[in-house]
Amino acid sequence: MSTASGSPDTSAEAPNGAAALDAAETTLAFDQATVDLDALQRSVYAVAGEMTVDIRVCGVDYMCTLFPRRQGTTDDELRHRFRAEVNDQILRVRIAKETEPLRNLVFALAFSQTGLAEAEGSA
Amino acid sequence: MKLERSATALPAHGWQLLPLRFHRLDADSVVLTNLVGEHVFVTPEELDAVVVGTCTDQELLARLRAAHLIQVPGERLPAELLAIKLRTRMRRLPDSTGLHIFVVTLRCEHTCRYCQVSRQSAVKNEFDMTEETARRALELAFRSPSPHLKIEFQGGEPLLNFPLVRWITAEANRMNKEHGKDLGFVIATNLALLDEEVLDFCAEEKIHISTSLDGPQDLHNGNRRRPGRDSWQQAVAGIRQVQERLGEDRVSALMTTTEASLGRAAEIIDTYAELGLRGVFLRPISPYGFALRGRGGANYDVDRWLEFYAVGLDKIVELNRQGVPMVEIYASIIAKKMLTNTDPGYVDLTSPAGIGIGALVYNYDGDIYASDEGRMLAEMGDRTFRLGSVHGSSYADIMLSDRLLNPLTESITLSAPMCTTCAFEPYCGADPVFHHATMGDFTGHKALSAFCRRNMGVFTLLLRKMRDDPYFRDLMRRWAQ
Repeated sequence: MSTASGSPDTSAEAPNGAAALDAAETTLAFDQATVDLDALQRSVYAVAGEMTVDIRVCGVDYMCTLFPRRQGTTDDELRHRFRAEVNDQILRVRIAKETEPLRNLVFALAFSQTGLAEAEGSA
Repeated sequence: MKLERSATALPAHGWQLLPLRFHRLDADSVVLTNLVGEHVFVTPEELDAVVVGTCTDQELLARLRAAHLIQVPGERLPAELLAIKLRTRMRRLPDSTGLHIFVVTLRCEHTCRYCQVSRQSAVKNEFDMTEETARRALELAFRSPSPHLKIEFQGGEPLLNFPLVRWITAEANRMNKEHGKDLGFVIATNLALLDEEVLDFCAEEKIHISTSLDGPQDLHNGNRRRPGRDSWQQAVAGIRQVQERLGEDRVSALMTTTEASLGRAAEIIDTYAELGLRGVFLRPISPYGFALRGRGGANYDVDRWLEFYAVGLDKIVELNRQGVPMVEIYASIIAKKMLTNTDPGYVDLTSPAGIGIGALVYNYDGDIYASDEGRMLAEMGDRTFRLGSVHGSSYADIMLSDRLLNPLTESITLSAPMCTTCAFEPYCGADPVFHHATMGDFTGHKALSAFCRRNMGVFTLLLRKMRDDPYFRDLMRRWAQ
């Protein structure tokens, strides 16, 4: 299990908080306690070229149903691809949250000395 | 006094992350980039350890700290240095607009497969710019705050209206006595009409020639058709004439990749090398106009173009290894963005986008477009990027219009979905014209965007090669200068 994802292992078959539920429908469940909806939605957006994903709340889980865009993609490939993307998006959300104050500081420092703010204020 | 290693070592959880983004290059390799695109390669395990704070590898931590990816809590200097670099990268923004494209005629004696705009059979003068239109366009161009003005003559074939090219050049020089800008001129020509008069004029005015050369004779003439089927012969003769008369650095050539080009990258580059041209721009075909109608040679997807690009790049690297200096222009633009704090200002790879603030296009009839691609869309009936007309629009009307500001603000990558967390955002661009043309909105869905897929492919290729091949990394450094 990737500690960076912050997700507990909920099944032996599917690490990172994801559990395969229905082989016929290619579904993955993510524990709401460990996976942000924001990260899931970012993942859905990022994989839109390969699959579309339906997210529903089901008890304590986000239930994701995966629909491949191309024929010939196996269920396992779909699940691995989506899980990998969710893990990366969880990491990205975590980094973005942690670094937001410093990011704002850098932008403030960068653009406070351009003269643009003074010009706008005096106009 | 030398500090003991233990005195400088960072303990676990003894640092904090600076804004960083990552992209998985391979199963065992990740690239991290900071706010301004400086990068470090790590393993997936190292990425996890750094993010959760358990990393104790002092060599890695030192590299990350040097690249402003982490800092010791309370430090102020990394944020200040990042701010200086960010401001340096964006220093061109207040100096809009540097490039002014004058479409002096739509007439052309070529009928290129992928051309959207030429009028071969037009009645003379019907599609020529007039002096009055040109004068008004020049007045607008000189309103630009940019200290550098480049006037590029385009068509059609601009040499078919050579008297106006002369007139505009003289008038611009006269006006510049008052403005004192760094003024330059480019003629984008197929060279078929090059003669002594044009060469004399270009020598006198220090004009740069930009031409098209798609590669070997059969490929070029198949794409670029003209009576006599001798476009390649005319272009090659013209390139040699300009090189001899004006100097080798005064002529450059561009190629357009059609389906027929795929599989012939090495031949294309050999053609350039044999002519003594030191730069090749391996360009995909534009998704505009005739090229989309199935007869423009655009029947290939991004992945096939990326294969073509990779083969071409390898060929160029090989030539350099053999002592033949040759630059792939697109890679050199990206090298500047990856390895320096200078933004080269290439219109397709800037955010905010380069439309309007990087370039303005004055069509033969006085209509003003935010980019050349915007003009091409208008030829297909979509006038979204028409900003106004030299006959009636003021500079403020053009630069403050919603038609310009909406696509600029809606497409900016620092707020676009997927771009905000993309490791390649500092290298990439917004390109609202492409996304409007292909997806119907200025931002586009990046996961489905051919622009995104193509550029992600190029960035990944260049980074992998820099990681694996010290010679290529050095070459990129040279190209970045």
